[in-house]
Amino acid sequence: MQPKRRSVFKDESKLDINYVPYRLPHRNRELRLLTEFFSFLLHNPGGMTQRVLIIGRIGTGKTVLAQRFGLNVKREAEKLGIKLQYVHVNCREYRGSLFLILHKAVSIFHPNFPKRGYSAEELLQILMQVLDEHDTHLILTLDEFESLIEREGSEAVYKLTRLQETRVNKPQRLSLICILRKTEILEKLDESTRSTLQSNIIKLEQYSKNQLEDILKDRVNLAFNPSAVPEDVVSLIADIASSEGNARLSIELLWRAGKYADLEKLDVVTAECVRKAASNIYPIRKSELSILNLHEKLLLLGIARSFKENEKAYLSMREAEKAYKIVCEEFNVQPHSHTQVWKHLKYLSTLNIIKTEVSKIDRGRSTIIYLPLIPAYELERELNILLERRGNQL
Amino acid sequence: MNLEDFLASKLRIKILKVLMDVGELNVSNIAKRVKANYQAVDKHLKILESENIVKHKVFGRIRLYRVNYSPKAEALKKLIEVWEQKRKT
Repeated sequence: MQPKRRSVFKDESKLDINYVPYRLPHRNRELRLLTEFFSFLLHNPGGMTQRVLIIGRIGTGKTVLAQRFGLNVKREAEKLGIKLQYVHVNCREYRGSLFLILHKAVSIFHPNFPKRGYSAEELLQILMQVLDEHDTHLILTLDEFESLIEREGSEAVYKLTRLQETRVNKPQRLSLICILRKTEILEKLDESTRSTLQSNIIKLEQYSKNQLEDILKDRVNLAFNPSAVPEDVVSLIADIASSEGNARLSIELLWRAGKYADLEKLDVVTAECVRKAASNIYPIRKSELSILNLHEKLLLLGIARSFKENEKAYLSMREAEKAYKIVCEEFNVQPHSHTQVWKHLKYLSTLNIIKTEVSKIDRGRSTIIYLPLIPAYELERELNILLERRGNQL
Repeated sequence: MNLEDFLASKLRIKILKVLMDVGELNVSNIAKRVKANYQAVDKHLKILESENIVKHKVFGRIRLYRVNYSPKAEALKKLIEVWEQKRKT
């Protein structure tokens, strides 16, 4: 019999992205607020419905907050004999389709509900019929709400939020939690829909380094053997992830660092394991950057600076070109033509340093650019070093 | 309908087995699973319903059928279970 393989982990599932911890460090206030918004469900179910927006950047705990609340409220409702369902749907997974999102909700009650032969409007009515028949209240969480708005626009959101108005003298059954990264997307909604949605907002700020450390310590206790992760290692991980205030990234780093420790048959997770994990998550291959020609570097620097300054998720081709021209001016270099810039962009895309996508806009198509994995600040720093070196060689 | 007539249809038994296995389905889905056409399945579902063996619920344009666990349905379920078990052994 082979000896059992040693591992620093006691239960690595506690580091899984889908794990919902019992305790949410530094989100207690928000959890209490969310519970307060929905307290009527436990005291006067059917009396009203609620709509809440949870807003925050990646890794600020939006999803886990809603899921923890969902588990808590369901447990409380069960204790009181109130029929309540909490359904968490990631709109992006359902391609932002209202029909598919509603189908997911209906299929909780009727798992083989057909997917064809009727419209989203009919499905919404069916959902209400099902809730009436089961005498159940539903909290539907629409995670990555942006996807739904992008695909379906104002009309679908309006139907969801104003549904109860068409159900006179019937119990109110459908409440919504909408999770999104930024409020700007709400501008795409008409005024009345927006005002219905924006009455209850929970804004999650990025985690500080100390807050990330607290989150990591909790996870270390749940997932690792005692003393397997020294405090300075937790601190290093928090340091790396604090630039983005991203708890998800910090937990991912912790898990990967643990994997490196196991791979190297170590009893403890070392700082070197963390550094390896970090370079894996941010796969900047410096050699790849150094082989770029001057104009590719300048274009990339312009893009990195634009992302850093604007906090945008996407840049248009025009914005990238504008940023590139500013950088050229700074380095006293004549900028290349539009066609050449486009070629540089395509090349950077083939190297996976940036990603380009064709996006449909009002009057046609436009190329949009984003950074898939590399943080803009790190990319800028690397390029500055390379360009400085070039300057010294001249 | 007497028992001989009821058991005489292979398709009817297939439909029943599918519903007992899956739980709840619309006509098209049952037709797909038993590899028969919609009209034939619809006809047999109506017979099964008239015998209180299945029941349906309407959701807009959708009709979902499920087994109605009446004494007849229970007896058929037992028969199918025993028969299928015997086939496996």
